[in-house]
Amino acid sequence: MPTNDGYYEAYWPRTPRQTGIKPLAPRLKSLEGRTVAYLWDYIFRGDEIFGYLEKGLKARYPGVRFVSYTEFGNIHAGKEKEVLAALPQRLKELQVDAVICGMAC
Amino acid sequence: MLRASAVCELAGVPTASLTSEGFLGQAAATSIGLGLPNIPIALVPGHPGAQSKDELRKNVLDVTLGRVIDNLTRMPSPAGKRGEPKARDIVVKGGFSAVNRYFYENELSDGLPIVPPTAEAIEFFLRFTDRDPDESLGVILPDSRAATIWSIAVNGVMAGCRPEYMPVLVAAVEAMCDPKYGVEHSGNTPGGETLIMVNGPIIKQLGFNYLQGALRDGFMPNTTIGRFWRLYMRNVAGFLPHKTDKATHGTTWRVVLAENEDVLAEIGWEPNSVEMGFAAGDNTVTIARYTGGGAFPSVMGDTPERILPYITDSVLRYHSWQIHFTESSGDGSLRPLVVLSPILARTIAKAGWSKTDVKEYLYQHARLPAWKFEHFLREWTVKGTWSLELAVKDGRMPAHFFESSDPERMVPIVWHARDFMIAVSGDPLRNNAYVFAHNAFMGYPTGKKIHLVRDWERLLAESQKCAS
Repeated sequence: MPTNDGYYEAYWPRTPRQTGIKPLAPRLKSLEGRTVAYLWDYIFRGDEIFGYLEKGLKARYPGVRFVSYTEFGNIHAGKEKEVLAALPQRLKELQVDAVICGMAC
Repeated sequence: MLRASAVCELAGVPTASLTSEGFLGQAAATSIGLGLPNIPIALVPGHPGAQSKDELRKNVLDVTLGRVIDNLTRMPSPAGKRGEPKARDIVVKGGFSAVNRYFYENELSDGLPIVPPTAEAIEFFLRFTDRDPDESLGVILPDSRAATIWSIAVNGVMAGCRPEYMPVLVAAVEAMCDPKYGVEHSGNTPGGETLIMVNGPIIKQLGFNYLQGALRDGFMPNTTIGRFWRLYMRNVAGFLPHKTDKATHGTTWRVVLAENEDVLAEIGWEPNSVEMGFAAGDNTVTIARYTGGGAFPSVMGDTPERILPYITDSVLRYHSWQIHFTESSGDGSLRPLVVLSPILARTIAKAGWSKTDVKEYLYQHARLPAWKFEHFLREWTVKGTWSLELAVKDGRMPAHFFESSDPERMVPIVWHARDFMIAVSGDPLRNNAYVFAHNAFMGYPTGKKIHLVRDWERLLAESQKCAS
């Protein structure tokens, strides 16, 4: 190391995060008789994956109901902000109990 | 996707977020910025884009299904709080090497040496703004940190900027915080990079290069302000490779582009700043994110009709999958940028053509056969089932994308002629041009006025005297 390295007191270049830790929604005891909605960003075979999941969930919980992603709009596109702003109300209207959201790829 | 899951969780609805294997790290890092560090994730093994139907079905049923059920029916353990320094903490004391080692080891630098951000250096930057150092220009995802004036000065020092660049840095971060720009998408896999374009008298006052080598490093304002952008994206927005920045390959930061306003004035073309809604003579920055592009040399011709076919062809060649943003999910937000060297702009303008005429020409001629447009989106990339016919019939795209069912019909790559952007810069006497392929709503062109501090001229003169 060079000996003429100087002396510096350097500040942190970040700023504190503005979000505190928030609680997650309560989980369901079972999916039996519940309504599960799909949210999709319309890429990477989400529609196909939802189909497989639906089959698997129905086999295990025959009374589970599903709401299509088409009820909500694309969650990751030019209209993302509008779609997400409308989401809480839409979930209420459709009496949704749980959400399967995709695809992070 | 996690942003949507977060909205549901906060609305009291439990979620399972389908995440492919390579994105688990990004999900973990992003969830902290959303304030939901324990949001549950349902693994999708591998990547669905590279699996047969049978492989995907097996992976979903064997692995993902169980995770989904678990996510929705079992409360995950609470996440511990991670300690961080406070806004104005000194985080390291020592020599140049020690400071740089600390910054690099703590993911606070880009791998090049940084200028240590000391109190004295930061104070010089703050003199070039009238704003309070604690003022926040916005909260930036994915980390949800406040974009304070103080943090702009700190990162400006680190990047090697001169203090008098501070008004440009503030304007650039204001643009970054504008929801229209879409900074939250900056960790997407194509790994595009932002170009900052500067207009106004400040180009000459600060000594930006707008002549030969306009996009080459070697000119302090162009180079260091470009570097500042990426440092700020890392440190305050929070885009870190291997975590929240999922660029598959990526590219380094871009040198700032300054327009040649002398030539624009001479040929009667509006500078980019006026096209962005500002008054002629305003100092402005315009930011937009580009996934690629390149130079195309030796554009021969003495009339627009001879010059523009090659330019049109190059615009098409540099835009392939990006037309994904022309279709419905991108809402026509694709904005290709063509940078003409002055000699090309002069030759086109000599025939009485305006920038608007050039855009109209590109709109009419930069077209693809409809089958190819659909092929990019359906067979080659991500869409599975999709067609121009359906998008138009559902009202998600303008009617001119389906004027007939002839697969050979030519369709534009943007919704409107005005979506093309034209800038003039580079070697004044070489007939080359450059196309930037745009990333659409994931870095939409956003302009901001550069506000100069009171007493700008005196402070600038003093600072430039100190530097010489």
